[in-house]
Amino acid sequence: MYAGHLAFGLAIKAKEPRAPTWAVLLGVGLLDLLFGPFVLLGIERVTMTPGVPPGFFLDYIDWSHSLAMSLVWAGLFGAAFLGRGRAVAMVLAFSVFSHFLLDVPMHPPDLALWPGSSIHLGFGLWKSMPVGYWWVELWTIALCCAYYWVRARRLGTFGGRAGWATTTVLVLHILNSPWLAPSH
Amino acid sequence: MTAQTFAIFCFVAFLIPVPLLAWLDRPRAKNREAAKPPGPR
Repeated sequence: MYAGHLAFGLAIKAKEPRAPTWAVLLGVGLLDLLFGPFVLLGIERVTMTPGVPPGFFLDYIDWSHSLAMSLVWAGLFGAAFLGRGRAVAMVLAFSVFSHFLLDVPMHPPDLALWPGSSIHLGFGLWKSMPVGYWWVELWTIALCCAYYWVRARRLGTFGGRAGWATTTVLVLHILNSPWLAPSH
Repeated sequence: MTAQTFAIFCFVAFLIPVPLLAWLDRPRAKNREAAKPPGPR
């Protein structure tokens, strides 16, 4: 999942408008922002599988994406924003953990309970529905963006260009489709 | 695409939209005062 995380971030922003937008969006993507450097440093491993959906196999992502580490990263991220109030900090912590929650249906069982755990979570829509998963994510995006757009219109304190923001997320989802994504 | 390229791609793909979406999320000029957090102004 890619754009779905960003759409969920917009929905979180709509729910708690006091949370800084940039922080929410960094939060929903934090686990993947850690994954990149972790792979480059050799802490985590991925194997590219051209022609086999989704185009890659996540061999070992326990330090960025396991259940326990997701909670740790969420706690640390939320704690960094305690100065903005407990509610905002909690929402930002949840934004990080939402990444794990949204990844569970999509990933094959590669989401460990903790680093090194033999128990892995993941319903595997990427594999069981090589194209269908994209439509499932699209529905998630549609629901989140609709919520964001309606709340932005109603409150007026965020989402000044909500239409463009939701369009941007939709375009990113299209670019990440099974037909266009460079990893496929 | 190599694993390293993919890792950089994932990193950039999540980083690039953040400032753009944050900018698009800014309230309209007429609502900016109301959107400011409470405190000394």
